[in-house]
Amino acid sequence: MEKPSSKTIEITIISAEGLLINKKQPAKKTNLFITVKTDPFNSRSTGLGHEGGSSPAWNEKLVMELPVHARFITVEARSASRIIATANIPVSDFAGGHLPENYLSFLSYRLRDASGEKNGIINLSVKVNGTGNGRCAASCSRQWMGVQAVGNKVSGGIVTGIPAAYRY
Amino acid sequence: MGNFCSDVKGGQQAVGGGNQAIGGGGGGYSAGHNEAVDFFFRAKGEHALFTPMELSLSATKLRDRDIMSKSDPMAVVYMKKRDGKLEELGRTEVIMNNLDPTWIQKINVTYQFEIVQPLIFHVYDVDTKYHNLPVKTLDLKDQDFLGEASCVVSEIVTKRNRSLTLNLHNRDGRGLKNLGTLTVHAEETVASRNAVEITFRCSALVNKDLFSKSDPFLRISRTVETGGSIPICKTEVVNNNLNPIWKPVCLTMQQFVSKENPLVIECFDFNTSGNHQLIGKLQKSVAELETLYQSKAGANLISPSSGFRRREKVLKSEIFVDRLVEKQLYSFLDYISSGFELSFMVAVDFTASNGDPRNPTSLHYIDPSGRLNAYQQAILEVGEVIQFYDSDRHFPAWGFGGRTPNGSVSHCFNLNGSPSDFEVEGVEGIMAAYRSAIHNFALAGPTLFGQVINKAADIAGHSLSSHHAKYYILLIITDGVVSDLQETINSVVRASDLPLSILIVGVGNADFKEMEILDADNGDRLESSSGRIATRDIVQFVPMREVHVGQMSVVQALLEELPSQFLSYVRGRDIKPLNVPPASS
Repeated sequence: MEKPSSKTIEITIISAEGLLINKKQPAKKTNLFITVKTDPFNSRSTGLGHEGGSSPAWNEKLVMELPVHARFITVEARSASRIIATANIPVSDFAGGHLPENYLSFLSYRLRDASGEKNGIINLSVKVNGTGNGRCAASCSRQWMGVQAVGNKVSGGIVTGIPAAYRY
Repeated sequence: MGNFCSDVKGGQQAVGGGNQAIGGGGGGYSAGHNEAVDFFFRAKGEHALFTPMELSLSATKLRDRDIMSKSDPMAVVYMKKRDGKLEELGRTEVIMNNLDPTWIQKINVTYQFEIVQPLIFHVYDVDTKYHNLPVKTLDLKDQDFLGEASCVVSEIVTKRNRSLTLNLHNRDGRGLKNLGTLTVHAEETVASRNAVEITFRCSALVNKDLFSKSDPFLRISRTVETGGSIPICKTEVVNNNLNPIWKPVCLTMQQFVSKENPLVIECFDFNTSGNHQLIGKLQKSVAELETLYQSKAGANLISPSSGFRRREKVLKSEIFVDRLVEKQLYSFLDYISSGFELSFMVAVDFTASNGDPRNPTSLHYIDPSGRLNAYQQAILEVGEVIQFYDSDRHFPAWGFGGRTPNGSVSHCFNLNGSPSDFEVEGVEGIMAAYRSAIHNFALAGPTLFGQVINKAADIAGHSLSSHHAKYYILLIITDGVVSDLQETINSVVRASDLPLSILIVGVGNADFKEMEILDADNGDRLESSSGRIATRDIVQFVPMREVHVGQMSVVQALLEELPSQFLSYVRGRDIKPLNVPPASS
């Protein structure tokens, strides 16, 4: 049972925009921090936000291991101990496909609160420090549980589900 | 304070910092080099839409026209306008007795990326009797013509050393005698590459609003010799805060001129009425701000004397410099002349709404008399400019919405009809492929850009691995609104972090209002259906019909945003021009 080689990723959390607490007040920068999870047990967090400018900024780099079969990483914006917004980032957006190894991707994602409503945008950059094979988890075709829905075709794409009741 | 914008969101934006788009925000104003417009923007502290350059001229092996001594040469530079007329840009001084002159007098020319700028150089031998007169007053008809040379401004600036040597020939090209050579060297007028990025913070600001706290912003001005001051930039507005920290502002040397030049820093309370109230001000040069930064001390703001009070009052409010960093802001030209290549790709709309190509009213009608249709015009105009910057002249060309010979509709087929190879050679190759494609592919529909954008993004993405310094430009020419706007948005968002710009020309009479969402000039970032948000604005959309009403050409409107989109990519990644050594601290 060989252990598949995993890669490390460097995520720099740059800033967030338009984050509200309780849908009304802009979140206080100095209480905000961001947590990144590559799987339910692996997470890293930034420090508290800087007072720079009108929207919170961290510009903090987090280095984490990315399990080979990870398809998503989760980014959570927290204030004190509460999660006020999350975003799910498909690994295929920054690794694999036509992007070369060690490419620095600048990405931004919509944050949504616990009820699925829009709550701000998160800006970050990601770089994968790969070892060898050059194929990323997103291009591995299987290794997950569940029944394939459509016949024999494996489409291999990433789908992000949003609860229908809260669509916009 | 009447010169602030009246739209609130726009009025609250930071203006004039050098780090922002060279192009003053893109989309909307100005057409070409208009001095009145330029002065207006410079007075407001915003960058002009072009790069002012100086040409230095020298010549070798000029013909000897004088009997007793050598020629006394002078050079005159003209710009050829669109209607063929020559406009004189300037003259050098007269150098005595010299067949290999190096003139000192520089000629100013404004470099505009998005138009072809043909220059004509004439060298004259000035007769002795005119030597003491100002060069401007000389009538060229009375002088002896020594030779003529011509080139295009972009030819000079794309050379690594920005120098171009041309052979002088007779007017109208008659005669092949060797009349000597002329060397033209171009340089950007001011050393605007040096810039300073400053993060300002204030404490204990006075409250000017009734029911809430002040909404402060800073305006920075430069004092001029005549005694007044010219605003060079303003920060964004921080709402409801008496201890604000603003986003860093970037001032270029062109704006502050020298580090000892005193700058006036004013702190205002923003009011939506436009009547902003002054909270306090301060006068400091960049050098003094550096000292403030190093000592981490604050400087007290001053409230100027008013009707009630003869003297100025020193306030408790203080301003701090949290960060001050010197930067090198390379311009678009710096990158291009260092070897960065632009790569051109075209996609043509083959949907049925264009009309049957055999019908003279169709947008795809190929006129046997040679008059170009809207598609041909757009390809030719944009291609002509970009091909100066694309050295290999291999252009991918696709069509979308057309029916292939096997009967199926394709949204990304090769324009040259080849099943595997999508490249054509030169702009003439695109034109030829287009003409034959009109015969070989039937128009169908619907209008979908997603596939061509994805293909262009793949090509741009692949180029990253080979480390070539290339930036891709996809030109999409369409007559209608996209059928699936979200699909297009998704493709654009996916491509927004790549070295790619998408220029969309709308031809015909359709209402293109919906397409302007793609342009994102209003500041709303595009959001894909998977929740990803565009990293940067990579689309420029221009409806051809609207453009022809004004003075600006289609290509000027389309390429207006290109330098700033290119710079947003390279600066965001801290990519420097190729010939710059790696940064030393």
